[in-house]
Amino acid sequence: MNNIILLPIIFPFLAAIIIAVCNFTEKRRNIFAGSIIFLNLIFVSYIVANFNGISMHVIKMNEFLDIYFKVDKLSVFFSLLVSVLWLFTSIYAMEYMKHEGKEKRFFAYFILTLGVTLGIAFAGNLITLYLFYELLTLTTFPLVIHSGSKEALKSGMKYLIYSFTGATVALLGMLILFSLTNNLTFVPGGVINANLLDNKTLYFIIYVSMFIGFGVKAALVPFHSWLPAAMVAPTPVSSLLHAVAVVKSGIFAITRVTFYIFGANAVRFTGANKYLIILVIISILMGSFLALHQENLKKRLAYSTISQLGYILLGILLLNKNAFIGAMMHLLNHAVIKITLFFCVGAIMYTTGKTKISEINGIGKSMNITMFCFTISSISLIGIPPTNGFISKWLLAEGSLVEGKIGFPVILLLSALLTAMYLFPISIAAFFTKDESNVLEKKKAPIKMLIPIVCITVITVFLGLFPNFVLDFLRAMASEIMN
Amino acid sequence: MTIIKSFPLIGVLILFLIAFIMPLIKKNSVVKFLSIASFSTCLVLFVVSLNYVIHNGSYFYKIGHFVAPYGIEFSIGIIECIMAVLFAFISLIISWYSCYSIEHDVNESKVPLYYLLINILVGSLLGIIFSNDMFNVYVFIEISNLASCGIVVVKDKKENIRAGIKYLILSCLGSGLVLMGIAFLYSMTGHLNMTFIHENLINSYMNYPQAIIITLGLFTVGIGVKSALFPLHTWLPDAHSNAPTSSSAMLSSLVLKAYIIFLIKVLYRVMGNEIISETPILFVLLALGSLGMIMGSVLAIFQKNLKRIIAYSSVAQIGYIYFAIGLGTELGFVIAIYHIIGHAITKSALFLCSGSIIEKTGIKEIANLKGVGKEMPYTLSLFLISSLSLVGIPLLPGFVSKWYLAIESIGVNKLYLIVIILVSSLLNAVYYLPISIHGFFNEEQSSSKLYKSKEKSVKELMPITILVIAMLYVGVNSEGIINLIKTTFV
Repeated sequence: MNNIILLPIIFPFLAAIIIAVCNFTEKRRNIFAGSIIFLNLIFVSYIVANFNGISMHVIKMNEFLDIYFKVDKLSVFFSLLVSVLWLFTSIYAMEYMKHEGKEKRFFAYFILTLGVTLGIAFAGNLITLYLFYELLTLTTFPLVIHSGSKEALKSGMKYLIYSFTGATVALLGMLILFSLTNNLTFVPGGVINANLLDNKTLYFIIYVSMFIGFGVKAALVPFHSWLPAAMVAPTPVSSLLHAVAVVKSGIFAITRVTFYIFGANAVRFTGANKYLIILVIISILMGSFLALHQENLKKRLAYSTISQLGYILLGILLLNKNAFIGAMMHLLNHAVIKITLFFCVGAIMYTTGKTKISEINGIGKSMNITMFCFTISSISLIGIPPTNGFISKWLLAEGSLVEGKIGFPVILLLSALLTAMYLFPISIAAFFTKDESNVLEKKKAPIKMLIPIVCITVITVFLGLFPNFVLDFLRAMASEIMN
Repeated sequence: MTIIKSFPLIGVLILFLIAFIMPLIKKNSVVKFLSIASFSTCLVLFVVSLNYVIHNGSYFYKIGHFVAPYGIEFSIGIIECIMAVLFAFISLIISWYSCYSIEHDVNESKVPLYYLLINILVGSLLGIIFSNDMFNVYVFIEISNLASCGIVVVKDKKENIRAGIKYLILSCLGSGLVLMGIAFLYSMTGHLNMTFIHENLINSYMNYPQAIIITLGLFTVGIGVKSALFPLHTWLPDAHSNAPTSSSAMLSSLVLKAYIIFLIKVLYRVMGNEIISETPILFVLLALGSLGMIMGSVLAIFQKNLKRIIAYSSVAQIGYIYFAIGLGTELGFVIAIYHIIGHAITKSALFLCSGSIIEKTGIKEIANLKGVGKEMPYTLSLFLISSLSLVGIPLLPGFVSKWYLAIESIGVNKLYLIVIILVSSLLNAVYYLPISIHGFFNEEQSSSKLYKSKEKSVKELMPITILVIAMLYVGVNSEGIINLIKTTFV
């Protein structure tokens, strides 16, 4: 029965081929794509519910060339998150992609990317992760350059170059690591135990190169500039891939490396986290500051992502239980919040064609549900209690205080303030500013776009009010990897 | 069972004999059939002898009645047989491909001549691989030299003749140096048979410290010119980009490799580990190999012509092979052989794909090839898969060699070499991926083009598809192949 782990990875591949080959009518294709993604969600839930802990070697050539899948707590967490959000995005995209065109190509790659992302989630060793990580770059590339314009191609090339360079730097770390340990399998608590003392410098180099290499996808400053550029992609793509799947894959890879290859103590021993944390702090602050004066709504959200991802990386680098739980919680929270924000902005673009903050004055009157959800999500992202953003930030602050770092909570507060400064003006403009020119069309967002927006907002609120079932799960995961 | 021992010789003879029948035949289709038939016979023969060698061990095969130091010998081992199978396989595929397309490149009346040259070329390359006699190798080198220049100039265009003459002059210079190296060896030892030279040298090499270095230098430069070791590669881009497609594929994937095999023989069979470890030769190969890996790719980035890009990429890939030899370890040697296999298959697939694209669209510059993915989706997909191997996506052969090279660089305590490997693979991505990306996704160019309008028919795509499948096999089954090569050391 171990083979069942392959099902959610291969099934989307086959479905993508069917979409690419067959000439469906629009309605049929939408039903097909939606049901594929829904079925895949069922597969994933079935596997994580009934087969926790199974593993499978697909191709095992030798110690390193070993395509190996495993289900553990972290993969359960990530795969469920990805599958659920993919489903909502597909509903949203069915409506949105009408005005972008070339839907057949979009849905083929969109479903293909789902399979690849689940491959990352279920990867049981570093080489499998690396393989799917590279594939992710290749399958998302056509989505980024969907419009095919010159600007899109240019941004796409930037995305490719950054991603490949990052993966190569990570590969450098993998190579040296493999020569030292001969083992790249993910084990909670790390696989490094012997000969740590002899090779301190080497382990330092390994950790730094892997962190920075995978950090490129996680938009770590100063390797972040591909992310705002990639906002030329259609909104469902930016929302899902650049707020959730792609960037979170980078974070996921870093988590794997930190806690499942190195282990918290080994990282602490190399001392790499002290230096890397500086980059992360810069990411948090710079992302927020840059977001302040972005006119384009999507770009503003993109810079906000850079800052929020910094929070997660900070939680990982603090290397203690509270911070880890906070980081994972924020991974989840940021995913649901950011996807809602993007969906709302996309809905504005789709219905009115407006992309700038100065153009949306008074839009809250006609698109009240959209802007209401936007505001709720903004409040959550800022972290005002009792929202979910508050919980994760609280845990992160607690984690840094355990380490005796009083500076970090201050930075978190400052960044929260900045978050408020770049998100509230949008809501204020929408609800409280009068539209003087009166050129805005009075239109509501289509129902297919509103359903995902409202559903995810409900999830966001729910996570804020009843976070315990997630927190318990994360606590179990944390005590597994740190004792 | 002794007849199996003769199979390598029979294979070489079949190629030569059939080559001489070809000009007598009037009908081109019969010539093509003969060429394919001879290559497939060779493939079968070599597979049988590979199987024989795996089970019964390597052996020396004497040609004629005279015993070793006087007569000529073939030495048949696992590596020789693997190479022979590879060469026969790839030349079979290339000649299959050329059956459909050679008339576009070559005047109809010269088609028999072309297949004659190909048969002679492959025969002489196999001779270089098998022969255990230095002078015999030299003869084969000269034959292959003329034949490979022949398949460049056969196209009869002005730039072909120019490239051909450049190639001929540099290549003759190379073989001249090799000949001088052989002369040095002969005057030191009084033998031409590799085994005997080795036995003699191992006792007396202390007496000729300078002469050994000079000999190695002559061989390295001589073979370096012929196998496009950076910075001796200057003939390669012209020759490879102007030749007919099937010739470029053959030159890049087979001709270069045979000479490298000869260099490996000189290093390990003639000189032996003991002698070469006292000379800086391995370091020189490592340094030149690294330079080639970087510079070949850098030069490729600035090229505008599709075939020239692939030709410069060959320079980089040859750099990998020399790099692997230069590591001087057992695994390094194994990876050199593995990379020869992987690159031969990948590069011929790339050349055949680009050849089909150029043939169908008539455009050579990549700037004008944007949007070609709409017209020729399958061809460009095959091109993409092959280029991904060179870029280094896991499971494909390019990644496997890079991985082992990096592991081995750590093994010999030269960490900085990993950076060279990684930079070079990134550079590969920089010039290979844009071709496919612009081919598939450039909307401005492709909107006016018709879907599949210029695609080749299925049977014409078959040879390339088989090459790509073989490439996937080599990548996925890397462990088996590497273990097979490793058995030579036991």
